Amino acid sequence: MSGGLFLQAVVSGLLLGGVYGLVASGLTLIFGVLRIINFAHGAVMMLGMYATYWLWMLVGLDPYLSVLVTAPVFFGVGVAIQRIVIEPNRDAAEHNQLLLTLGLALFLENLALVLWQGDFRTLRVPYASASFFIADTLVEVPRLIAAGGAVVIAVALYAFLRGTVLGKAIRALAEEREGAMLVGIDVGRIRAVAFGIGSACVAVAGALITPFFYIAPDVGESFNIMAFVVVVLGGMGNFLGALVGGLIVGLAESLGAAFLPGSLKQFVVFLIFVLVLLFRPEGLFGGARGR
Amino acid sequence: MPDHRHLDLSTIHRRGFLKAFGAAGAAATVAGFPAIGRGQSREVKVGYLLPVTGPLAFEAQLALNGLLLAVDEINGSGGVKSLGGAKIALLPGDTQNKVELGNSEAARLIDQGAVAIIGTFSSLVAFSVRQVTEKGKTPFLLLACVADNLTEGGLRYTFRMQPNGKGMATLTVSNMLEMAKNANIPIKRVAIMHEDGNFGTTMGNHVEGFAQTMGYELVQRVPYNLRSPDFTAELSKVKAARPDLLLISGYYGDSKIIAETASKLRIGVNAVVGLANAAYSNPRFIAENRELTEHLFDGNYWHNPQSARSRAVFDAYQRKFSSPMSNHGVQGYQVAWVLKDALERAASTDRDKVRDAVARTNLTDHILTQDAIRFDDTGEGIAATPALLQVQNGKPVVVGPARFAETKPIFPVPKWKG
Repeated sequence: MSGGLFLQAVVSGLLLGGVYGLVASGLTLIFGVLRIINFAHGAVMMLGMYATYWLWMLVGLDPYLSVLVTAPVFFGVGVAIQRIVIEPNRDAAEHNQLLLTLGLALFLENLALVLWQGDFRTLRVPYASASFFIADTLVEVPRLIAAGGAVVIAVALYAFLRGTVLGKAIRALAEEREGAMLVGIDVGRIRAVAFGIGSACVAVAGALITPFFYIAPDVGESFNIMAFVVVVLGGMGNFLGALVGGLIVGLAESLGAAFLPGSLKQFVVFLIFVLVLLFRPEGLFGGARGR
Repeated sequence: MPDHRHLDLSTIHRRGFLKAFGAAGAAATVAGFPAIGRGQSREVKVGYLLPVTGPLAFEAQLALNGLLLAVDEINGSGGVKSLGGAKIALLPGDTQNKVELGNSEAARLIDQGAVAIIGTFSSLVAFSVRQVTEKGKTPFLLLACVADNLTEGGLRYTFRMQPNGKGMATLTVSNMLEMAKNANIPIKRVAIMHEDGNFGTTMGNHVEGFAQTMGYELVQRVPYNLRSPDFTAELSKVKAARPDLLLISGYYGDSKIIAETASKLRIGVNAVVGLANAAYSNPRFIAENRELTEHLFDGNYWHNPQSARSRAVFDAYQRKFSSPMSNHGVQGYQVAWVLKDALERAASTDRDKVRDAVARTNLTDHILTQDAIRFDDTGEGIAATPALLQVQNGKPVVVGPARFAETKPIFPVPKWKG
């Protein structure tokens, strides 16, 4: 019986961890290139979820297909945020930039509150209840699609960063800003592109979880915090580390829920967070440098 | 209906006033001023304290709408008759769901002459405000606050019409047990999942504390963080404990995910029951999740569907606000009428007389699923009880207590039995 519980916890932990990984990938990319901690990441995710919701309600567009719309739109949103809000303050002190993104998060959340009120919304697609059992272990199809989609996108992004000129330029900027400028990379443009990709990642993550989740103005907050844990765990700016870190955090949470009394599962996650900061501040897989 | 003469005086431009004054002539002033004076005295000030901005703004507005509807009805039907037809004037107070604002707003309302204060929606704010109203010797009628301790400490001025946490938990469970007994499917093993804040923990404590006296075994109790995105592991633990009944005390999003995962896990219980659940009897949630919510139970604040008056109130609310009345709207509506009834009997705006009249309330003409509204020595509603609701054909209907039931419960629920 306890073996069955263990298997169930592992499976649901990995499924959730994939989503954490995609959210964190966007965050770590933005950090790697812009060197700012983007507290508005969760708020962008929330906007992505509302976009998915309204596309479904108004046009009847399937949440998974809506990714084709939300990804480019939120790439644009990210570029706009970077150009209008972040770029003018690029030379400001670090704590000012921190406050800037925090303020942006508050602004976006309150904007959502004004536009769509504080009540929760849920979106129900016909296949929301699809699920199957492997042995005695439940696999929920929408969660499987979300995790699978998240991993596919993260891996595709990894390939993009490794294999294309634009991707190499992004990595160059993450590694050595002045060097990148010296070889003629348009760093302003690259910064905007990186912020755009990061925002598109988190909006897509939002779209992927919408079929089994709920939508509210503050829905991004818990993912935001988990994404920070994941990014620290995987190494700030480390792309693959974010994906693996996401899976680790998902597993830790789920196993904690299964085998610890009460609501201690998040205690496990934050314990890992503190331990990593204490003993391996560069993250389990090292930082952006040398990636 | 506002007294326009009164309003004009407070807002009119000085020169405009003098002009009107002059045109009216000296004769009119003699007759005019006393009339204004009488207009001012024929008004009873009642303060409300609600988080009408901030995170609870949406729900607080629904409660306020109920309050506004009742005040409209009262004023439209001749006001408080024992006070010469005095109209109720609502003094607004916004707490933003913050304790310190609750206190300062309460003090302000008392200063401005409120004979009573209605609020505060959240128990945390109410816990603090009740000290202010006690000191100001002002009747404080709790609206939608569920924490047990709000009436503790020998307070004289705090009253709660609706069931507290203990009533909510134990009466819902006993309604379920009775229903199960009638269906010849006794419930022996109970599990509860509750959010780990004050609200859920209170519910969990009562379900655990009353297990022995009520004759069931609590086989699993799982507190959870309501922001958690996945409850599969928790529900697997619950399933392994083989309960007959699963109780869920939570808010909206968490309750949705739990119901979804429980149904997929084939949790194997006779029923899934919300305890004051924010989602399971919420018309919007049900409309958005038809197949998932069908046959869910919930013990919650509700109105009496058998009463002609409650049907009329619902129609009036729909006309006024173009949306169906929520259970918090019902609470706001009813508590205003409780106060009106007390004011009639007090025949005074003296706060102590109003307080004594509230304490002696025995109101049978109401829209709740309970006997007459009365208060005990601590200020708790004596007959206060939650309704037991079940979603049937996409609508929450009252299935208990039996004398208020609209229809028969569907129990055990086949889909949960799996």
